[in-house]
Amino acid sequence: MSAMLLNKDQWSAFVGKLAGEKKVWAPVKRGDIMRFEPLEEGAVPSLDFANTTVPPKTVVFPQTETLYRYRIGQAELAVPVLEGEAVLLGVRPCDARAMSIVQKLFRWDVDDPYYLKRREAATLVGLACSAPGTNCFCTSVGGGPASTEGLDLLMTDLGESYLLEALTDKGKALLEAAQDLLQEAPAGAVQEKEKVVGAAEKAIARSVDTTGIPQGLPGLWEHPLWQRTAAGCLGCGTCTFLCPTCHCFDIQDEVEGFEGRRCRMWDSCMFAEYTLHASGHNPRPTRRERTRNRINHKYNYFVQKFDVIACVGCGRCVNLCPVNIDLVEILRQVKEAL
Amino acid sequence: MDNANPYIPYMATIQETWYETSGDRPIKTFKVTLDDEEVRKNWSHRPGQCAMVGILGVGESMFCISCSPTEGDFLRFSVMRAGKNTQALHQLEAGDKLTVRGPLGNSFPLEEWKGKKILTIGGGIGQAPLRPIIEYVKAKRDQYAGLTVIYGARTSSDLCFKGELQEMMKCGEVCCHLTIDVEEEGWEHNVGFVPQALLDLNPSPENTIAITCGPPIMIRFVLQNLKKLGFADEQIYTTLENRMKCGIGKCGRCNAGPLYVCKDGPVFTYAQLKEVPEAFA
Amino acid sequence: MDLEKLRKTAAEIVSRDDVKYLIGWRPGSFGYRVSPCFVQDAAGAEELIFSPLCASNLATYLTLVEKLPVPRGEEPDRRKVALLVKGCDSRAVVQLLVEKGIEREQVILVGLPCRGVVDLNLLQQKYPEGLEKGELSWQEGGFQLIRNGETATIPREEILAEKCRLCRYPNPVLSDVTIGDPVEPWETEADRGVEELEQKSVEERWDYWEEQFSKCIRCYSCRNACPLCYCDDCILDRLNPIWINRAVNFSENTAFHLARAFHLGGRCAECGECERACPMNIPLGKLNRKLAKEVREKYGYEAGVDPEAKPFLASYNPNDPEEFIL
Repeated sequence: MSAMLLNKDQWSAFVGKLAGEKKVWAPVKRGDIMRFEPLEEGAVPSLDFANTTVPPKTVVFPQTETLYRYRIGQAELAVPVLEGEAVLLGVRPCDARAMSIVQKLFRWDVDDPYYLKRREAATLVGLACSAPGTNCFCTSVGGGPASTEGLDLLMTDLGESYLLEALTDKGKALLEAAQDLLQEAPAGAVQEKEKVVGAAEKAIARSVDTTGIPQGLPGLWEHPLWQRTAAGCLGCGTCTFLCPTCHCFDIQDEVEGFEGRRCRMWDSCMFAEYTLHASGHNPRPTRRERTRNRINHKYNYFVQKFDVIACVGCGRCVNLCPVNIDLVEILRQVKEAL
Repeated sequence: MDNANPYIPYMATIQETWYETSGDRPIKTFKVTLDDEEVRKNWSHRPGQCAMVGILGVGESMFCISCSPTEGDFLRFSVMRAGKNTQALHQLEAGDKLTVRGPLGNSFPLEEWKGKKILTIGGGIGQAPLRPIIEYVKAKRDQYAGLTVIYGARTSSDLCFKGELQEMMKCGEVCCHLTIDVEEEGWEHNVGFVPQALLDLNPSPENTIAITCGPPIMIRFVLQNLKKLGFADEQIYTTLENRMKCGIGKCGRCNAGPLYVCKDGPVFTYAQLKEVPEAFA
Repeated sequence: MDLEKLRKTAAEIVSRDDVKYLIGWRPGSFGYRVSPCFVQDAAGAEELIFSPLCASNLATYLTLVEKLPVPRGEEPDRRKVALLVKGCDSRAVVQLLVEKGIEREQVILVGLPCRGVVDLNLLQQKYPEGLEKGELSWQEGGFQLIRNGETATIPREEILAEKCRLCRYPNPVLSDVTIGDPVEPWETEADRGVEELEQKSVEERWDYWEEQFSKCIRCYSCRNACPLCYCDDCILDRLNPIWINRAVNFSENTAFHLARAFHLGGRCAECGECERACPMNIPLGKLNRKLAKEVREKYGYEAGVDPEAKPFLASYNPNDPEEFIL
């Protein structure tokens, strides 16, 4: 039971089946934006989207997370019990790949229990891309419209039905749980999928040849391109917060009355306080250094440490930057300057 | 550190506090013991390592452990009052509670340095990470070929550990050179910047390890002068500090180029750092 | 729009010794996007454009540049910065002058009478954005879109940004040189885009803003895009004390947005940048326009229209209404 077909008229029954067993997170539309939210009872998510505004990293790496709670004046620390198993429905392959990339860091030397427990408790049901977005460039950074890295199950839209391919035991278990709704995929289904994926791959219009970028970036440290790029940058956190591989966080204590908690929340290297020392000294004093760090972190430092570019080409930073700072364009300039 | 959850700190109690310096940004030393006996017994740190010290309800900050494990089963932190957490720390006294996470980061390779002459060059609060080396080498002096300390600050009242350093000078057990930036009445030691004091002392690089820590500008000139004196990049060590939150290589902010100060450091050789453009930013 | 004249004027300005650069717009990297550009020399002026896609308010950059300590022995760069301004942009500049955030001699304003810019989201919904660049221009009654060699006419009200529908100052209120003929203002006093909300009950309004503020991810793009959010020491960045927790939830998000709205009361130039920059599409313009409306109706004060005016909160009048004091 590794490749099955789900007729689209069984979609809501399939979702209901999953929801009956585990908490299901799926893309939900809120006005013009889309984010992963726990599915309300009886709700059936639509899979008609290019990609969510907010990446599904929020499910395994919530924007704000309590590390532990305490009472002022007492020494007991209470670690919150993490929720049980979850299914993430409709994860784009780029976002799933991002989770495997980020996981390398959260596993590096010291395990991060919060991230890893949530990640392990999550079953990722992917949705292969058949119509890539304008600024998708996953194929330039090692991904693709049907990349399976990080996924447990991959769904591909074949028009009348979805092809469901189990990739891990977790994926197989999901298929088994829903087997009365599924039928064995005929031989032609996989070929049909290849066609859909092939067409999607061709439809990806943006690309950058990344060869030489990780090795070449250190030599461009003082290059004028950083100043040029940063001049228009507003220094906001849109590009980093909505990036599926950005994983930086701050830790703060919060107290109400005598009840306190130490919690972590997303932070952005584009903010001035990110590196600000208590003395007032800032090793990255302007947007130039911060922009340079953002690109270097993804395309150089992470590669040195974990042997993979920390960018999956989802295009969110390009789509959502209010002043059109375009990562692909920056990389093109880097390439040109090498 | 709790291996299952590295974010959970140990509870600790302040045993003793005293001021090292006064002024706008005074430095206060905290002598701390871990509350849990089991934890205390199993705790082991090496000179150069750090810990996240916090107050519940306020926050955590990274400090170097400013004592050597040879001194006893306590921890020392010398803290300059600068931001929110250090302001709150400065209000604490003996008996107050802290949270401690650690030991974190790498350490000075004192095993490797056996048989060598040790030269520390410190400035201001930068003497804090050097102090454990001095104490360690003092405790195991037969294993090292010598110990020289150069330490300077803006004024004599900005010098940390002044009492113990003067004590060391008096009994001649350590070759110790103190310097302050400008002349002061009653000051019997050297006047001038630390990098110049280093040049004046003119130590031989032969079989010597030089370790420097202080403000970035001082480190930059000390490094230049060590090179002038003929020290090889591998003979020069420094310890870096950046804003940190997790201390375990996850939160992202402490990187100097590709190096995470909290995990790859805080101790680095100049050979490692000289190609890292952000190292002394 | 006389682009040639704009570029020629810009080239002349940046050629002056006392000018550092001119901030303008140039075509962006794809689709309908437009980038801010910092023109350093006459050749760079050739890139400049002005079209209904030039929504961003460049006045923001006047205060965004980090002030680093000047190295010993060097003089600070006191050269002027030139800026292309639409009506709303010029109001932001005026407000900065009123608050003494900048000095008049520091800036050269190239005024551009504006017939209204478009809401990118609305344009994208009608004509999905691709990689190919689209050119948009004003024409009678609306806009003309040229893309892939094809021309489309779009009625004005279909894609006009809300802030432009409500605009009362389409012509720059302050400029050193103006390019193009003044346009006839179109807005009526009555509509501030908040009346519908005002009609709702307290509970309904609360629900509305709860839904909106819950979306916020606290990226601070609204604050950073705002030309009038330029405090060196913003309360949001303050670590000691922390006024608003960094935790992201409805309560803290609301504290953030209300603090920002109140800090902009009597100061907002209604340029709509906060709303445009928001990746979560929170209608922040409504919040700011509501406060601007209150200030105007109660105190007869309007921000950013008179460079000689006193700041709103510094212009106390014994006859000011005070019915809000319990």
